[in-house]
Amino acid sequence: MISVADLLTNDRIPANYYANEVYVRGDLEMGLLESRRGDRLLAIPETLIQAIYAGLTKETGQASRLVLFNCGRWWGKNFFNRFRDEVSDYYEMPLVDMSMAEFLQALKQCWMTYGLGKLDLDQSYHHRGFLVITTWNSAFIRQAPKSQLPAGFLEAGILSAVFSQLAGRELHCVQTSCESLGSDCNRFVIGLQKRLDSAEAMVEKQLDHESIMPRLCA
Amino acid sequence: MQPPFDAIFDEAEHRYLKPDELQEMRQYVFSLKDRVSTYQMIRDRELSLMQQVADQIQYTMPDAELAALERSLKNAMLSLRYCSMGMVLNDPSFVQNRLLGWLSDSMQIHNSSAIDRAVFRLIVQQLAQVLTSQQMELFQPFLNLAQAVLPAPVEEEMLTVAGMF
Repeated sequence: MISVADLLTNDRIPANYYANEVYVRGDLEMGLLESRRGDRLLAIPETLIQAIYAGLTKETGQASRLVLFNCGRWWGKNFFNRFRDEVSDYYEMPLVDMSMAEFLQALKQCWMTYGLGKLDLDQSYHHRGFLVITTWNSAFIRQAPKSQLPAGFLEAGILSAVFSQLAGRELHCVQTSCESLGSDCNRFVIGLQKRLDSAEAMVEKQLDHESIMPRLCA
Repeated sequence: MQPPFDAIFDEAEHRYLKPDELQEMRQYVFSLKDRVSTYQMIRDRELSLMQQVADQIQYTMPDAELAALERSLKNAMLSLRYCSMGMVLNDPSFVQNRLLGWLSDSMQIHNSSAIDRAVFRLIVQQLAQVLTSQQMELFQPFLNLAQAVLPAPVEEEMLTVAGMF
């Protein structure tokens, strides 16, 4: 028999940790924005993002993509640590024991509350060892300099770091469709580096996501 | 349901409240006593009410997985808590913003709509026995919000990242 009292943990039922009205707080006297755990949050203006792109392009040219990807990896590693601590404390369960669905639900909410846009998972290729993450309304992609290639290098770095930490092995991430190129959403393919090398070449040749995935899985 | 007052408070520096806004506020304050007593009733009966729902759902759905029943009961308890608070504040957006997006995602992920629907039906039956019709009238609109997000059943398979790579 189910005892309802036993379903409660310390009289509470964990729900949406990242509900934005609860998550984003401020210490007005100190002039700080904080998360509900007291970690510092920052709101950054779009002009700063534009400035970073302009500075990088001027100083590093083509290499700026790699610089952004590596910044993303650094960010993603720390983002993941914070996310893991918050989620595992709140649900009183290690992140590795959570189902993919629950993990993703928390990540989606977190992504939105951080103002990074919307995020979802396309599981169609998971039997072939690839995860496809789709995102919408990325501020970094919207402000990126015009190019013939997908522009979400920062996010690709973040996602590769997040899923590498989660899977416990090194994973790479390649963006195969981009809002800046007129796609309905940004698609990021996550998998082992050696299996994604050919995807990178296909992106360079400007093939679209629907053409890349079957070839990648062939 | 009356609209929430947030917008009115946000305009404090612009103007004083208009007569119809004051009237709206008076109505809310007038209804607050009933809202709080309804809240208190639900709060005090939460465990016994939900235990009856749990007993009945196990009886009516004996083949359902225990974990699925427990998850649906937890989600229902969450809804009850959020809806009760929403009712005190008379603010549907409190329930919508903080709970419903997350809840409907959660229900879709676990494909539990048959159980969720049955649990909600039982909750409404139980509440009808505990609350007066006037109290039910205050609470029902918020419960309807939660019921409206119960998804249609979908087939989806469970996946773990660790198992993939």
